[in-house]
Amino acid sequence: MKPATFDYVAPHTVHETLDALGDTERDVRVLAGGQSLILEMHLQRIRPDLVVDINRVAGLDHLNLDNGAVRVGALVRHGVFESPQAVPGPLGRLFALAVVNIAHPPIRARGTMVGSLAWAHPASEWCAIALALDAAIEVRSADRAREIAVHDYFRGALQTARARDELITSVRFPLLGDNTGVGFIEHRRTHFCFAQVAVATALAVHDGVIEQARIGLVNCADRPVRARAAEQALVGAEVGSPGTGYRLPDGHPFIRAGRIAAEQDAAPLAEPYADPEYRRNAIAVLVGRTLRQAATDYQVQAGNGATGGRL
Amino acid sequence: MEQWTRREDRRLLTGHGRYVADLVVPGCLDAAFVRSTVAHGIVREVDCAAAREVPGVIGAWSAADLSGLPTCTHAAARLQDLPPVPHTLLARLSNEEAVTGREWPALAKERVRYAGEAVAVVVGEDRYRAEDGAAEVVVRIDPLPAVVTPSRAANDSIALFDGLSNTAFTGEAGQPIDESVWQGAAAVVEARYRQQLLMPTPMECRTILAVPEEDGRLSVWSGHQMPHRLRRELAALLDLPVDRIRVVVPDTGGAFGSKSAAFPEFVTVVYLAVTLGRPVRWIEDRLESMTAATRGRGQDQRVRLAADADGHLLAYELQIDADVGAYPHLGVGLPMQTAWMATGPYTTPKVHATVRSVLTNTMVTYPYRGAGRPEATIALERSMDLLARRLGMDPAELRRRNFIPAGSFPYQTPTGRCYDSGDYSTALDLALETIGYGTWRDEQERRRENPDALPLGIGLSCYVERSGGEPGGLHEFAGVEAHEDGTITARCGAAPSGQSHETTFPALVAQALGVEEDRVRLVEGDTDAQPEGLGSFASRSAQVDGAALCHACALLIDRARERAAELWGMPVEEVEWSAGSLRPLRDGSAAIGLAELVKDTGPLRVDDRFESGMGFPFGAHAAVVEVDPELGTVRVLQLVVVDDCGVVLNPAVVRGQAFGSAVQGIGQALYEGIPYGDDGVPQLANGLLDYLLPTAAEIPPIEVKDTRTPTPSTPLGAKGAGESGCIGTPAAIVNAVADALQPADPGLLQMPLTPDVVWRAARAPKYEEAR
Repeated sequence: MKPATFDYVAPHTVHETLDALGDTERDVRVLAGGQSLILEMHLQRIRPDLVVDINRVAGLDHLNLDNGAVRVGALVRHGVFESPQAVPGPLGRLFALAVVNIAHPPIRARGTMVGSLAWAHPASEWCAIALALDAAIEVRSADRAREIAVHDYFRGALQTARARDELITSVRFPLLGDNTGVGFIEHRRTHFCFAQVAVATALAVHDGVIEQARIGLVNCADRPVRARAAEQALVGAEVGSPGTGYRLPDGHPFIRAGRIAAEQDAAPLAEPYADPEYRRNAIAVLVGRTLRQAATDYQVQAGNGATGGRL
Repeated sequence: MEQWTRREDRRLLTGHGRYVADLVVPGCLDAAFVRSTVAHGIVREVDCAAAREVPGVIGAWSAADLSGLPTCTHAAARLQDLPPVPHTLLARLSNEEAVTGREWPALAKERVRYAGEAVAVVVGEDRYRAEDGAAEVVVRIDPLPAVVTPSRAANDSIALFDGLSNTAFTGEAGQPIDESVWQGAAAVVEARYRQQLLMPTPMECRTILAVPEEDGRLSVWSGHQMPHRLRRELAALLDLPVDRIRVVVPDTGGAFGSKSAAFPEFVTVVYLAVTLGRPVRWIEDRLESMTAATRGRGQDQRVRLAADADGHLLAYELQIDADVGAYPHLGVGLPMQTAWMATGPYTTPKVHATVRSVLTNTMVTYPYRGAGRPEATIALERSMDLLARRLGMDPAELRRRNFIPAGSFPYQTPTGRCYDSGDYSTALDLALETIGYGTWRDEQERRRENPDALPLGIGLSCYVERSGGEPGGLHEFAGVEAHEDGTITARCGAAPSGQSHETTFPALVAQALGVEEDRVRLVEGDTDAQPEGLGSFASRSAQVDGAALCHACALLIDRARERAAELWGMPVEEVEWSAGSLRPLRDGSAAIGLAELVKDTGPLRVDDRFESGMGFPFGAHAAVVEVDPELGTVRVLQLVVVDDCGVVLNPAVVRGQAFGSAVQGIGQALYEGIPYGDDGVPQLANGLLDYLLPTAAEIPPIEVKDTRTPTPSTPLGAKGAGESGCIGTPAAIVNAVADALQPADPGLLQMPLTPDVVWRAARAPKYEEAR
């Protein structure tokens, strides 16, 4: 478990970084938090010719608001989002719910959100959230800057639309309206491992009725999945008030949405201890439970509990 | 020392431990191994030429390259070929018939039999260079079909050794049971259980450093449980007298049974050190360990258990197909431990256990904490719960009715064991009281009536195990020496890998001699300092080495009294020993200490060989779990472990052993397993992300309690304490899950109880529905 020999540069500016990435003859990798790259290099599954360490690059560690969106720079660490106040409103609450599922504190202190998006692992929490929330990936190369809509970005396991000479400088998430309830639940065998399945939801509610649903599925296919069919099925449903048991009542719209997500939206792969049949079950259960969590969040945060419809 | 619980804590917990990887040896080379990526195949080509061109690589060899390697002038270098891995016939756990024709090569030459088997070795100036070289070795292997389960391998349709059966060993304990016994019984339960393969997973993987010394001797540093055995085995394969080799065990980060052999990598490293005349080190990394280190467990079991209408056990039958791995080593006979312990803590009059040990295309099976006893306990205790359900009887009551009574020891079991001492019902009662058995049963009822509540289950597991070793390996060597400065040196043949010997043994010696604890220094794990020894295995150190040290102290006191008697010209009966001092009984003159006696009469040292009997520790574990039937997750709400290891030498140390082994027991029950692909290759590419250990976040509240029934096997009265949780805990948890879900088919709940397994069991027909 030792990396093969590689060259290493640690530029101080984006300009220098892009120069280094411009050498497309060689296998060049960007090192941010390093929580995936270094492991893969130790395993020699990745043997880069050149590692470009961007940790000293000025200006990449900003987290700021911009015209109804939040822009997360390439060096913003996971751990920043543990506080729900790091980002305003429901989006901050969703990030906070999700981020504690990313490995453990030392990894969250080092790893970055943009790094997760660049790596594009199917079990990444951030990737599914970005997809569900219509985030935009902001990239630059030596001769151009562009924005990649997230639905065009993920191309498969560890595959993205980023060109080899491009650096992801930031990712932009539209803020969620105050009438939004959010939920995130992850299912995994121990706290140490990747998710078998995780689900992120955001429900925009008006007068107790779901106006818009966003559902992101983690590790439910070879890439992050947006459960559009399930989202559609929820529009117009009453958000209701949460039940108390671990099971939702039969016939509840959240149960139906869970089934649709599992059967129509997801394309789960087999892995040890989780064959597709089990995975589809877990997806259905988790989507239902996460929707209920989002409904509860909406009611608690908006003080709307009393006006919610019946369950 | 006040702020530390143990004497070794300051060093180990502040990063000052010195492990094999920390030793600085000028000119030391690092070895890296090239390993087979196929489980079974014919080796067509192993070409190391490109590796030799890598900067910093000193040499690279396949097995064929090592034949006739010119040796340096080192005095030890009389070798021609790389010798095979020494097998062992220790403690009846293997035999010549099993190993003949099935030699385990240190580097595979013609055929590979498990994924991870080494086919070449590269030696570099450091580990980076060695790995860079290893990456350049060209290996071509034509795959053969692979078999990775004993049931599939047993029919010999795929043979690991041409012309030889895959079945390397058969054995039995007890007498066959007549069919009429089963037919006449009021209740008979049958089941099949899989005891999955487990990785011992010590924090520090295997290590060895071999240094040819200028005087022609060979020094070997290794994290090892049996340094004297390693010395003996290395001496035999290097054709050297044993006193030309010194084996030292420095700080070692865990072993759990997996560090007592001369492994293929050890043979290769020592051979290279001797032939090159240079120090060579190998530090196994985690991924290597996960493919090439030994695993434990690995049994497919069939059981039958019969009782009369009152729940008195009539007969128990256990058939074991054991997974030996690719080469016969200790794992061949290890399942006999399961067979011998099949009787458990019950008075069952007829017990019969059979063993068939089968070779498979997997890494070699070897002892892992518990080593045969968990398999016996899990099979019996799961069956006890099935029987209780069949009889409509409380599982605690069924056990109580069948315990060997406290007044019946020594107790001869139908499977050939003679239990030394026990009080099984007291341990169970304490476990039930501690966990609040009645309260949890009420809660279970309440939940059964509430469809919104998660199902809850309570599981029990009563065990009896064996510690100390097997006949022929129940002795140990120990000595004590008094010095002029008032200090005492204690020596013994043990070799710790985390068992707190530095704390426990000096305290024991200090107490036996009546001197202050901080005056006693312990020396162990160095074959030069302690020339004879067996080592640390089978939970034996307190039981056997502890008793041996006490015995040596008694001898030292006798010797001191003789010396004083001579000095004072009086009969020895008139010399009184008290609290580390000697005094004439009659004339009232002042006492002299041991130090003064040594000053006056010269060095005082005794060395002793002490033989213990087998110990049979026991206990009762109880678990409460909550199951989410929709996802199949299991949450352990409470775990109570009551263990009895006889006389406890240090409560904190014993508690640590109980706690740690219970966590490993939870690992077997819920998390740990090695998935194999159809090609026989373990699916563990991401290391410990693929083989899940319980983490701090998974550990439930564990209450550790004990009862103390001394063993008559030694004057000290201590039995082994190291393996209780691995033995007792898994069945408690599995029984609790079965109790929560009540599946009609017990075979659905095979360990590890991962969410998919539990989810399927939750959806399956219930016991009541099936009847």
